[in-house]
Amino acid sequence: MNLDWLDAFLISGLFSVVVIVGLGLLLHLQLGLTRIANFGVVGFFGIGMYSFGVLFTKVDWPFGDFWAFLISLAFGTFVAGLSGLLVGWLIADLDEDGVLVGTLGFATAVAILATTEDGLTGGARGLGGLRFPYDVGSVKADEFLWLIIVSIVVALILLYVWWVHRTPYGRLLIGIGGNEPLARSLGKPAFRAKLWLFAVGSAGMGLLGALFGVMERFLAPENLGIDVTLAAMVALVIGGTARAWGAVIGGFLVIGFFDIIVQSYLPFPREWYGQAIPNIKQIVFGAVLITVLLFRPLGILGDMRRDKLMRRVHGG
Amino acid sequence: MSETTGPRMLEASGLRSGYHGVTVLKDIDLDVGNEVFTVLGANGAGKTTLLATLARLVPLTSGSIVFRGDNVSAIPAFETAARGMGYVPQERGVFPELTVLENLNVGGMIGERSPEERMREVFDLFPDLEALQGQMAGTLSGGESRMVACGRALMQDPALLLLDEPTAGLSPLYVDMFFEKIQEIHQDKGVSIILAEQNATKALEVADRVMVLSLGESFAVKDAAELTTDQLKEGYRI
Ligand SMILES: Nc1ncnc2c1ncn2[C@@H]1O[C@H](COP(=O)(O)OP(=O)(O)O)[C@@H](O)[C@H]1O
Ligand SMILES: [Mg+2]
Repeated sequence: MNLDWLDAFLISGLFSVVVIVGLGLLLHLQLGLTRIANFGVVGFFGIGMYSFGVLFTKVDWPFGDFWAFLISLAFGTFVAGLSGLLVGWLIADLDEDGVLVGTLGFATAVAILATTEDGLTGGARGLGGLRFPYDVGSVKADEFLWLIIVSIVVALILLYVWWVHRTPYGRLLIGIGGNEPLARSLGKPAFRAKLWLFAVGSAGMGLLGALFGVMERFLAPENLGIDVTLAAMVALVIGGTARAWGAVIGGFLVIGFFDIIVQSYLPFPREWYGQAIPNIKQIVFGAVLITVLLFRPLGILGDMRRDKLMRRVHGG
Repeated sequence: MSETTGPRMLEASGLRSGYHGVTVLKDIDLDVGNEVFTVLGANGAGKTTLLATLARLVPLTSGSIVFRGDNVSAIPAFETAARGMGYVPQERGVFPELTVLENLNVGGMIGERSPEERMREVFDLFPDLEALQGQMAGTLSGGESRMVACGRALMQDPALLLLDEPTAGLSPLYVDMFFEKIQEIHQDKGVSIILAEQNATKALEVADRVMVLSLGESFAVKDAAELTTDQLKEGYRI
């Protein structure tokens, strides 16, 4: 396959966009519908990444790479889902502050464990040995194929989110978001909905973490910073938290701008890319998040209210 | 009136609860059978706190609640609804971003009978809701959203319905209608009701028994017909 036309930076830029869009979509169910501000996105992302990576690289697999890879991937997804179930159960009855502290604390704990459990994770040195479950000839082609595969996974997540919007479960999530005390008095369905939301959302975040790790080929605690959570949140609030497309639009706008336009097409001096630009990006994300949450809680492009949507659906 | 065999609908003893260390309810005893049990009291007497405590939304500091023979004092709020306790809060009783129909359906997620059948019954009880079913609940008038809240709780097929001032702030027309419906829910559907009210005159018309709550304490528990004006006045004095 001749991929000369394709810039390697573009592949990695698009890959960041796609991964953040995926995280943003899952966060949309939690923050957009249910108004649970999960500040621990990167924790679930990381736990999936490391569970996958450790199992894949540390076990002497008796069969081929491909199956070892799939089993490890399933394991990472499962462990992330399980941790989501646990965190969901812990925070289900807490108020907003409790959720913030709980989820943020979880993400911090994951980053610390990745650093201190160096027998398993390689600690601060990191964990190498990850590879694609195929070889199509060149590094660029391998990465390009991976980008396509992960894009398909994210498209499936988008379909799932769409489907949730149309189910009683989705309406219950919106109900919980709009009137939490009432939802609690409704009993088990509301509680179960929250657990399911966290279990599935976290499993998806974990899967994305594992897929991300494969592209990086190397797992390091630096991958587990709050900037991942912030990026997903910023993408979501820019695109509009209340609708499924929000995360997609926001992801392309925000991450696309920084990781593709700034990275490859703006003539900044080379030395800026090491320190200055990542720092500026973080500052911009933080500022955007605060501004949007203060002034446009539904997101910048998010004024397509649900009642308009309903009218369109029901043709009223 | 309440000569049922088997466990009572709700028995509570020595209830204490409140917010952030401030005790609001002080040693309330309650014994409700198959009846309309009305809790009267002035603003701030603790009616809302009492109902929310029974629904397990406000934690107990001491005392016990036995619901249909089971001690529910320690179980979380998400368990009581499944056991047959329907709760209609005083304010914010609907999910604003869901349509009327969706609100009702959320209530229908509990219980065994088919949601369609229950929905039919709710529409028979509140015919106005049928015409409003596609409307976003956040855009309803006060009376309409009370109907939705009440219908939503009925969709749960409750054995006991906790109604917190369902007519507060409504126009007289709605008030009369609501008290009729309360009687209908009790008599036709056999649902026990604990009704918190400030409006004593109307409430006493539908009540079997009444508790007068005063500053978080139970001032009197009487058959509704036996409550005298003096006792009521005394209980409302703060
Ligand atoms: N969320 C709350 N936090 C703190 N105090 C509260 C809260 N809700 C009610 N109270 C206090 O509890 C007391 C009883 O209030 P409430 O149960 O709402 O009475 P009622 O429903 O009879 O008007 C009042 O003194 C009120 O100020
Ligand atoms: Mg009240």
